[in-house]
Amino acid sequence: MRLSILWLLCGALLLSTLLSVTLGAVHLPLAQVWQALIQGGSDDFIINQYRLPRALLAILVGAGLGLSGTLVQGVIRNPLASPDLMGISAGAGLAATAVILFLPAAVHWLPLAAVVGGLGAALLIYALARQYQPAPARLALTGIAVSAFLTSLIDFLLIIHPVELNNALIWLTGSLWGRSWEQIPLLGVGLALLIPLAMRLAWRLDICALGEQSAVSLGARPKALQIQALLLAVILASLSVCVAGTISFVGLLAPHFARLLCGGHHRLLIPVSALSGALLVSAADLIARILQPPLELPVGVVTAIIGAPYFIFLLLRYKGW
Amino acid sequence: MATSLPLRTLLPIAVLAAVLVMGLAQSLTLWSSFELQLSDLLPLLGFDTDSGDTLAQQLMLELRLPRTLVAALIGANLAVAGVQVQALTRNPLASPTLLGINAGAACMIALAMSGLFGLAALPLPLQALIGGTFSALLVLALGGYFQARPNPVRLILAGIAVTALLAGLTRAALILSEDMAYSMLHWLAGSLAQTGWDSWHRLWPFSLVGLGLALALSHAFNLLALGDDAALGLGIRIHWVRRLAAVSVILLCAAGVAAAGPIAFVGLLVPHLCRRLFGQDHRLLIPLAALTGAAFLVWADLLSRGVAFPAETPVGVITALLGTPFFILLAARSRT
Repeated sequence: MRLSILWLLCGALLLSTLLSVTLGAVHLPLAQVWQALIQGGSDDFIINQYRLPRALLAILVGAGLGLSGTLVQGVIRNPLASPDLMGISAGAGLAATAVILFLPAAVHWLPLAAVVGGLGAALLIYALARQYQPAPARLALTGIAVSAFLTSLIDFLLIIHPVELNNALIWLTGSLWGRSWEQIPLLGVGLALLIPLAMRLAWRLDICALGEQSAVSLGARPKALQIQALLLAVILASLSVCVAGTISFVGLLAPHFARLLCGGHHRLLIPVSALSGALLVSAADLIARILQPPLELPVGVVTAIIGAPYFIFLLLRYKGW
Repeated sequence: MATSLPLRTLLPIAVLAAVLVMGLAQSLTLWSSFELQLSDLLPLLGFDTDSGDTLAQQLMLELRLPRTLVAALIGANLAVAGVQVQALTRNPLASPTLLGINAGAACMIALAMSGLFGLAALPLPLQALIGGTFSALLVLALGGYFQARPNPVRLILAGIAVTALLAGLTRAALILSEDMAYSMLHWLAGSLAQTGWDSWHRLWPFSLVGLGLALALSHAFNLLALGDDAALGLGIRIHWVRRLAAVSVILLCAAGVAAAGPIAFVGLLVPHLCRRLFGQDHRLLIPLAALTGAAFLVWADLLSRGVAFPAETPVGVITALLGTPFFILLAARSRT
């Protein structure tokens, strides 16, 4: 029964991908899409160069963010935690923005810079948490404050270097506009390497959910596990950010959705949350594109409009004040 | 005030006044593509000077003077609003930005611009008022402010969630309605670049009412700080104080947003600074917070013009840069 959830999610994802390939400013029926895929032709550009890579990227970015959120929430055991609310996305975004603006020659190092920025933000939060030992809700607030600071730094950099406003806007809210096949190998390879690593941590994450003492007596080392899982989470989130900018609330929403579907066992939770994240971003991007073509919204705006009410709902239900 | 002020209060006041006056003077003359002098203001005061550069006089009168005045007044508005919000919620983290008032006002203006509901027929400050009121009520209700024991962190998290939602809606409305991204980006970040005398005329009536109300309520705020029961026992009608203060806060913030967009973190930073410097007496705190806020925003605006001269940086970006580290510190310190 649990496995059927996986199939169901895969089906929904496939449907959403098919819709994103067919719908848009130009409506193309499936037969035409198929033809373009096989032999190219007049629709070759729209399908193969524009819509297909974009649909795939939405899936990859969403999977990375969803998985990252699951790892963060699993380690910190805080339902309000997520890579964007903890400042990780903003840190990665800041580092990437700085590289784009100041070292345009080093653009190949963008993913590395994003990871370093994400790690820096995570370390900052970690230092603050050690110093002040905040309660879970206050930790979330601290993360938001750090995120606000880093975001204002990004705004500042972008506004005093108004090179290309379109790029700037993409970084501000997260968008999949104008992406091509170039970015796909990076994220694809990253996910292919990191998902198995995350799966290897799964049972130890389950043990750690029992509490620190039980975890130690069952043979897991909680500190080492926390560091490994957070490192994975930071890398996943940073890679997503460096491709698509900061797409907010996916890392919060996807793990909750996944837990609702399949419970708390990480062996199932990890793939299901990756799929849910992928579905979320894919559907959000579809909405963002077809709402009023040819104008399109940044996908981050759509996920914020979906995610913020859910965050409010979490707050109303949260009991640990 | 019957008793004279002690030196440790007077000294900061003197420094503050000096900082404000210096800021005003610098803001009028510095960072210009043309040579400007304070003497170019003389014609305004009725002096008839034949000598002097008419272009400089024009610039001074039509651009610099309104901009500086608007900056000072908005700074005062936001600081006083911040003091009141913190006094009402007894929450050190509360501020107009974090309660979503600015975001609500901005969102309503953006929706009106996109032609929704025929809102565009209403005057700009009124749109901001409606939006600010609505979002503030939403945040207070969701944040559990009306419950028996409100939790400070919950209120702020609710404010942040509502702000995220409203910011998303604002961006969506702007992008879908018209292709005016760059100017809107500036406005959304809070910018004083487009202020003229019309902004000033839109701003001052609301500010006057709001600041007057705040001053009138200052004694009641002192009593409110003793706790609801004590305040009630001392003859304060708490509900009326709350309502009037809420009216004042929303007037002050909405007028500011209508004139210059949402300018963040002034309402958080300045009240805390003032409490440190001048103590907890609201009769002193409110006028001095107004002065400090004015000085702060005038200097921030000056900085925003100078930092990438001759390009303009939205002043809201500068205040966010200065204010967020402070917000991090307040948020991390768990003294509840």
